[in-house]
Amino acid sequence: MTKTFLSPPIARILGIAGAVLAIVAAMLPWTTFVLNKGAWPDKATLQFFDAPFALTGFRWELFLVGIVALVCSVVKVPAQRRVLRGLGFGVAAIGLVNFLFITAEGGGLGAVTAADGASAFGSVAALVAGGLLILGTFGQPLEEIPRWKTNLPTPVEYLGLLVSFAVLLYVVSLTLTAGGQGGAANPYSGPMFLSFLGFGGGLMAAAAGLGILRWISKLSEKHRAFSIIVLLLCAFLLPFTNAGTEYWMTVAANIGVYAATAIGLNIVVGLAGLLDLGYVAFLGIGAFVAANLSGAAASSLGIHLPFYLVVIISAAIAGIFGAVVGSPTLRVRGDYLAIVTLAFGEIFQIAARNNIGGLTGGSNSIPNIPPLQWFDGTAYNESITLFGTPLPSGVLYYFLIVVLIAAVMAVFANLKNSRMGRAWIAIREDEDAARAMGIKTGKAKILAFLCGAVLAGIAGAVFAHKTSTVGYESFLFMESVTLLAAVILGGMGSIPGAVLGASLLFVLPEKLRAFSDYRLLIFGLALILIMRFRPQGLIPDRHRRAELAGEDAEGHTLAETPGDEPEQPRPQEVPAR
Amino acid sequence: MSPLLEVRNLSVAYGAIEAVRDVSFSVEEGQVVSLIGANGAGKTTTLRTISGLLRPTRGDILFRGEPIHRKAAHEILASGIAHSPEGRRLFGRMTVEENLQLGAYVRDDAAGIEADMRRVYELFPVLGERRHNKAGLFSGGEQQMLAIGRAMMSKPKLLMLDEPSMGLSPIMTQRIFDTIKELQSQGTTILLVEQNALAALALSDRGYVIDLGSTTLEGPGTDLLADQRVRAAYLGEG
Ligand SMILES: Nc1ncnc2c1ncn2[C@@H]1O[C@H](COP(=O)(O)OP(=O)(O)OP(=O)(O)O)[C@@H](O)[C@H]1O
Ligand SMILES: [Mg+2]
Repeated sequence: MTKTFLSPPIARILGIAGAVLAIVAAMLPWTTFVLNKGAWPDKATLQFFDAPFALTGFRWELFLVGIVALVCSVVKVPAQRRVLRGLGFGVAAIGLVNFLFITAEGGGLGAVTAADGASAFGSVAALVAGGLLILGTFGQPLEEIPRWKTNLPTPVEYLGLLVSFAVLLYVVSLTLTAGGQGGAANPYSGPMFLSFLGFGGGLMAAAAGLGILRWISKLSEKHRAFSIIVLLLCAFLLPFTNAGTEYWMTVAANIGVYAATAIGLNIVVGLAGLLDLGYVAFLGIGAFVAANLSGAAASSLGIHLPFYLVVIISAAIAGIFGAVVGSPTLRVRGDYLAIVTLAFGEIFQIAARNNIGGLTGGSNSIPNIPPLQWFDGTAYNESITLFGTPLPSGVLYYFLIVVLIAAVMAVFANLKNSRMGRAWIAIREDEDAARAMGIKTGKAKILAFLCGAVLAGIAGAVFAHKTSTVGYESFLFMESVTLLAAVILGGMGSIPGAVLGASLLFVLPEKLRAFSDYRLLIFGLALILIMRFRPQGLIPDRHRRAELAGEDAEGHTLAETPGDEPEQPRPQEVPAR
Repeated sequence: MSPLLEVRNLSVAYGAIEAVRDVSFSVEEGQVVSLIGANGAGKTTTLRTISGLLRPTRGDILFRGEPIHRKAAHEILASGIAHSPEGRRLFGRMTVEENLQLGAYVRDDAAGIEADMRRVYELFPVLGERRHNKAGLFSGGEQQMLAIGRAMMSKPKLLMLDEPSMGLSPIMTQRIFDTIKELQSQGTTILLVEQNALAALALSDRGYVIDLGSTTLEGPGTDLLADQRVRAAYLGEG
């Protein structure tokens, strides 16, 4: 666990020094010269460093964290060292991101230290400050995370939740827009976004250390209905914030489609524990069915059905394929099942590439799928005015997808708490024992595939109209893997986890465009780090919350659980029904 | 009257390996019957076949006079045979209560399930006290109690216990055997597989010795206990 290799007073002094240094770093210049692609943002270049106290952007963020850290290290706050350590990591992250990026862009350490008689030690100072803050927490062992009361008067609890979700809305809006839209005009959007993540992550870690996050999650579990309504409201309010531009609405809607699909995959992988490596095919089937029934000129059927019918048909056809792919689960388990699903994904992709039955458009895709229309004939890709606020085009799709996600979540939650859901979880835990409980494991597994495929099919129908072009390139193996990663990253079997996972996995690549060549590297590194430090997922499901951490909710070490024996040959087994 | 369970000339094979050969025995209603035998004799295989997890290559299994060896596991469970498997096989990440609920998966009488859950908690108070704790955190003895409780939740006529004393201290083993007696007095018929032959035979109405896949000896528990061959082979004497 935590070592205490410093004497408490020294550690305390180091911490205070770190906080002060972070504030100082915010006021220092960060680059010695104007980089080739343009000046470093927020007037952090020496030449432009005319206003050390007029802080903006990442320098303002760093300044804020520094002030909070200073206050927390001088005043006695609960779980002080946990808070400071979180902030310290935030400061170090901001320093590191800028240090690395400026060094790379500026062609050497001269850009971040001293060159031509000028010095700009901002990022180095931030790095050191972060290190000092973290070091300062090694004087004594880390405290227990405080537990806050969750039996307050109901109005107070409602207020707490309202404020928390309002903050969440604000954070989401900030995160989406942080660093701005990448491109030639804004070459540094990637590092600015990462700096923001460091800032946000540091504050989050501090809030988690204070026990605030746990308090909020306890409260929202207690007032489920209220929380859901407020969350939905927040989602509807997002277009009214700074994120309400066409670009961010499109990004948000894309994320939404994948989040809905990830929740469907979560039934198969998270609940029933069946590894599916070809899941994106069901999204594709839904999308191609919808494209063919949309009346698009390129579709060979030339049928145009109302959207609600299209959704039902897409779901049904995807569901049928789900059951077909699921049926081998009666015979194959584990790795073998993964290979079967992988093969299905590839078959689908190759069939779509070859324009099978003239239904997929092959490499030409099916373009010009008409947009959906609101009852009064407004196309979903038009901009609208709501409550006197002009909203960008694409916002109607965003709203539709919010509704879609809410519906999919409701389906998932109901399934999970149903008899079938319990059977799935039992199968995931120990298939043989589940069979001994009288669970028809074969039927249950096929049903899991079917339900997951139906949800993906519905998402696919929306996807087809939203993107207006459906081609096989959208449904490659990589997409299946990313969806799977979203489920695992968020926390298997957890609904908010799947949404968060999908958001991260589809926002990060968008945001990291500036890193071009290094994008996948950074992306992979981030995934490895998350899985190393939070193997149970970002928002773990109750059943899995503790298991991988080796502890239960009370902090007891988890005993070996039976049922993990290696597979034995079982030729005479009764096939499951 | 026909016995509650009758196994006739049962053979079961894993591929080419015949694990059970020509085993026959019967269990009368209300009795405790033990199957004993060396490691690898085929006891677990026999129980798994009775509960429909394996298919026999030859022989019949009759439950209340009806053949069941072609039925699916869930049908056999619903007809009244519960199986507490070797090694307990609890759902370790689920709570006590969730484990018990899964034990009652084939039932749909909510009130009856509720009553039976209370009955389990009465029989094993420690389970009731920690009903919201994860099963995987319990001690071996407590887990065994939960495994028995879970099997009871399907309200079986016949309860099959595969090595319930495995890995338990002598005191805990005694506890489990007392429970078996108590369940019997409450009207449950029990088919017991045990390594602990001495204790098992002492409380059994009838015992069968399985050797190399076949039944070789049978008789009332106390008679078997007195049998020289049993004492030599399984009780480490003479
Ligand atoms: N899944 C399997 N595949 C192949 N052989 C098996 C399998 N399970 C058991 N066997 C073999 O079948 C025989 C009987 O095994 P079984 O588990 O029924 O014995 P047992 O009497 O319960 O033994 P123990 O007292 O050690 O539990 C053994 O030789 C064993 O190796
Ligand atoms: Mg055995």
